[in-house]
Amino acid sequence: MASLPIEQRILHYFLAMGAQQNPSSGTNDSSLSFTLGNDKLIVNILTAKDIVQRNRILEALLHLASFRGALTQLYVVAPRLLGASLDSQIFRSHGIGLILFDERRIEETIKPQPFFQHTQSQPTIATPDPTVLSELATLKSMYSQMERTLENIRAEFTSIKRDSEGKAPDLERGTPGFTFEPVMRPPSLLVETAEGPLPSFFANNPWLDVLSRRGRSEVAPLAG
Amino acid sequence: MSIDNYRSHYTFGMDFGTSDFKFGPITCGENPRVVNNRGYFPDKRSAVYRAFETAADVIVGDEVPLYLQSSEDLTARLVYPMRNGMVGKTDDNAWRVVSALCEFGLNSYPTKQNNGFQGYNVVASLSSVSPRYMYERLLDVFKQANRSGMVRAVTVIPQPFAVAIGHGVTTCVVIESGHGNSQVCPISKYPISSAQVALNRGGGDANAITSEILKDAGYGDLANEESLVRKVKEQIGLVPQDLETAITEAKRTPRKFRAKYKAPGTRVEIDLEKDSWTRFLIGEYVFNPNHEIFESYFSRGMPRPRDVKMGDTVFRGMLDFGDAIVASVERCPVELQPLLYREIILSGGNFSWKVPETLEGIVVDAPTKIKSLLRQKGIKNVSVKMTASPQLSVWHGCIIYGFAVPDDYEWDWQRLEGWMKLSG
Repeated sequence: MASLPIEQRILHYFLAMGAQQNPSSGTNDSSLSFTLGNDKLIVNILTAKDIVQRNRILEALLHLASFRGALTQLYVVAPRLLGASLDSQIFRSHGIGLILFDERRIEETIKPQPFFQHTQSQPTIATPDPTVLSELATLKSMYSQMERTLENIRAEFTSIKRDSEGKAPDLERGTPGFTFEPVMRPPSLLVETAEGPLPSFFANNPWLDVLSRRGRSEVAPLAG
Repeated sequence: MSIDNYRSHYTFGMDFGTSDFKFGPITCGENPRVVNNRGYFPDKRSAVYRAFETAADVIVGDEVPLYLQSSEDLTARLVYPMRNGMVGKTDDNAWRVVSALCEFGLNSYPTKQNNGFQGYNVVASLSSVSPRYMYERLLDVFKQANRSGMVRAVTVIPQPFAVAIGHGVTTCVVIESGHGNSQVCPISKYPISSAQVALNRGGGDANAITSEILKDAGYGDLANEESLVRKVKEQIGLVPQDLETAITEAKRTPRKFRAKYKAPGTRVEIDLEKDSWTRFLIGEYVFNPNHEIFESYFSRGMPRPRDVKMGDTVFRGMLDFGDAIVASVERCPVELQPLLYREIILSGGNFSWKVPETLEGIVVDAPTKIKSLLRQKGIKNVSVKMTASPQLSVWHGCIIYGFAVPDDYEWDWQRLEGWMKLSG
């Protein structure tokens, strides 16, 4: 197994985990792409030759970073020799997994974190509370009832208005279009009553009651 | 719209006072319109009248002064129909003035005919001693006025009754004192007309004794100027608490009681000087003309107020107000009498007397004088008040009566109350 190139060994490593290799999707030769369940995996492999090239590690990390937003798990595969000089905290803080290998074995040293947990907070879709749903239904019902009531009031008002415009007031004989001619009065001297504003000398006048009984519960004059 | 709502707009009051005619609908508020209760008959032979013939037979209202001609004409052509509170049955000119005033009053408040207006409910007020024929003639006047559809129903009520209504007291005695006479009228929800007492004495008699006082003081040339005499009466006349005490005080300190009057805009100045005590005679004479001091005036030609019969009523000449009130109240049931004494209401210009601050105690107002007269008769538990608005209280009463009395309360000739329907 160790005689196989590292790319083949990593391929078999992920296939053994149940992952399926994706066809090449624009990645370079040192990259592999897999699907594992709902997760998508991008694996970038650094060889012993790569680590002596100063910019190769940086290029590998930038390459993986270019997949942010599209994939969920990123891996860097590097020789165990390099593991001693890498700070694992940097990989963890960015959610990138690290797989170290030597001639005999391949070991996942740092597990990758799902990309969305580190880069952005997705809006959660809360399950609606049944109590709230019930209250909403009640409010909706009340609103509908109010609309119907308002509509009835509007219809009745229109009907009354139409009747009042068309009917005679019928005082004794009834005269169409009965309206009172407005006449000015000194407003400060008025007393508000059920019959409208009256002069102030009407206020608390007991004769209003006495005279209104004339011809009804009649008490005959004392004399004359 | 209810009937009450109609009456709250179209109730019309008319008060035929001896000097003024107060009229207007309920919508006037507190103050009706006021014009002189008089009419002028223009000279139809004049060139102006023949050329234009624009003037009516009789002129009433604000235009009267525009037609006045020489003062010689005034006696014959300027008619005050109710100078004495009564209009003669056959005095056609006076009734023409009354008719013209009614039409003038109604036409002063025109109303569109197509807005539900069916005519005013008119309440007219006459002197309480008006005989039945005055009611008949006045109601006829309104029947004539209804040709233009201005009157829906009409009624006539006595002035003291209207005063009681306007004052808001249902059991009381109203004393109405005008220019020509005075009426004492007990009221207990109705005017008790059989207990009424009329006096042939009013503001005109106070003018008469003022005129005599001016003659005695050397102002004989002014004593016949009626308007001036009236002004002098109003300015220097005082009502004494007790006449003899007042005269004694005034003679002791004449400067304190000195009576002076200067007619505005003229050179006329009246100063009673040492005779200033006579100013108390003016007020006393109104309330009690029986003091012996007045005999000297009668003996020198001043007419003594005599008992006269007008219509069915005897107007007492020399009865003082105390006796008049007692005589009136004692014609009512005994259990009602204390209630009547408890509310005595004074109305009319003849009760408007001033009390100078410096002379308080010696000089009193009309209610105090009435109380004093009643105390002399042994009546002590009394309350005497002036009406809040002496000039307008009758009109206020007319408006309340017209508003409150039901439409179906029909006119009754026996009790002289109710609505006489003219339309509707």
